Amino acid sequence: MKMIIHDLGQEEFTVLEPPSTGDTIVISDHGKIRPCIGCFGCWIKTPGVCIIKDDYQSMGELLSKCDEIIIISRCVYGSYSPFIRNVLDRSISYLLPYFVQKNDETHHQNRYNNYFKLTVHFYGEDITKAEEKTAQALVKANGINFYSEEECVCFHQSLESIKGVWQ
Amino acid sequence: MKIAMINGSPKAGKSNTAFLLNSLEALISSGNELTHYHIIKNPPSEEAFSQLCQMDALVLAFPLYIDAIPSHLFRLLVELEEHMKGHKNEIYVYAITNNGFYEGRQNHIAFEILKNWCQRSGLRFGQGLGHGAGEMLASNDKIPLGHGPLKNLGKGMNLLADNINSKSSGELMLVNPNFPRFAWQFAGTHFFWNAEAKKNGLKKRDILRRL
Ligand SMILES: Cc1cc2nc3c(=O)[nH]c(=O)nc-3n(C[C@H](O)[C@H](O)[C@H](O)COP(=O)(O)O)c2cc1C
Repeated sequence: MKMIIHDLGQEEFTVLEPPSTGDTIVISDHGKIRPCIGCFGCWIKTPGVCIIKDDYQSMGELLSKCDEIIIISRCVYGSYSPFIRNVLDRSISYLLPYFVQKNDETHHQNRYNNYFKLTVHFYGEDITKAEEKTAQALVKANGINFYSEEECVCFHQSLESIKGVWQ
Repeated sequence: MKIAMINGSPKAGKSNTAFLLNSLEALISSGNELTHYHIIKNPPSEEAFSQLCQMDALVLAFPLYIDAIPSHLFRLLVELEEHMKGHKNEIYVYAITNNGFYEGRQNHIAFEILKNWCQRSGLRFGQGLGHGAGEMLASNDKIPLGHGPLKNLGKGMNLLADNINSKSSGELMLVNPNFPRFAWQFAGTHFFWNAEAKKNGLKKRDILRRL
C-alpha cells in the first residue's frame, strides 16, 4: 500500500489528480486532529495505538502496511507544516520504545519488519536556501528514525508543479 | 529586561522542560522581569501575543518531537510570526530543548528550524542549549545543577544564563548527560519502559505486539 499525507484543502488536493486506486491511504486535515500529549500510552498502555480517540489514532498500524509514504507539505521554516508535524507526532506507535544504536546514535527499535520509501514534496513561493537545507536534514533524520529505505525530497514553488509526480 | 519563559512541553504537570526552565530561572531571575507561559495549559490570548511582542527576550523550552518542534508549539510559532510583523524593539530568542535519545546533538535540526523562524519573524536568535537523555532530567531534580549526571547541563546553563543576562549571542551547545550511555540505556529499558508498562498490567510481549 501507499500512503499520502498532505495538508491541502480537499479541492486543491483533487486538482493534483492523485491516484484513486484502492491501495492508497490518504491522510488529510479535517481541522480536528488533536496534538500528542507526550504520555507514551502508545507504548506502555495500548501498545501500537495512540490513546487519543480521533481519526489519527492508528497511524502506526497504517504505516506498517505501506511500502511508500508520500508527504505533501507547505515548507514552514524548513519544517513540515503544523498539520503534518501533528500527524508525525501521532505516529510513534509505529516504533517500539526500546533503543538501538545506528551510526553511533540512539534510535528506537522497529515494531514491524517494514521498510518504506519516503518522498516529501515541500511547496512554498519563497522557500529560502537555509530552509531547504533544514528540510533536507529533517527528512533524512526522520528517515533514520522511521526505518525508511530511501528518502527523496523535492521543492515546488507552486502546487501546479506537484501535479506530475504520481507516475 | 522583560523575559518570557515559554514552556512548550505538552505535559501539563511535571516535565523535563519544566525542570530545565526552573533551573534556568534561578540563574536569570534577579534584575529581570520574568513572565511564564505554559501553552498547553493556557493557549495564548490576543493579549498574551501582544505581551510577547513587547518582550526583550523569549526563552523557548520544549522537547524534541520527531527531530523537530512539537506540533502544538509549532502552530503557536506560526501565529507568533504574524503578530511579530509590527514589533519595533529588538527581541532575542533563546532556546532550551531536551530529547529522549542520549545524544544532545540530535536536537540540531530543531535549532535550525528556530533560526529560520527568527529570520522570518524579525527576531534575533541568541543561543540554544540542547540536552540528551531528557527523560532522566526531571527525575534527577534533587541533584544540584552542575553535579553528577547534571554536570554538563550546569556548565551549559551558566553560559546560557550569562548570555541572556547580557542580552548577547553565543554558540549552540548540544550536550549529553555526564552518565555512560550503556547505563542510561539499561535504566531506560528496565526502570522506565518495562516498569511503566508493568504498572499498566502489560508484559514484554504486549509491548512488542504487532497489529
Ligand atoms: C511524539 C514524540 C516524538 C518524539 N521524538 C523524539 C525524537 O525524534 N528524538 C528524540 O531524541 N526524542 C524524541 N522524543 C522524546 C522526548 O523528546 C523526550 O521524552 C523528552 O524528554 C520529553 O520532554 P518533556 O518532559 O519536557 O515533555 C519524542 C517524544 C514523543 C512523545
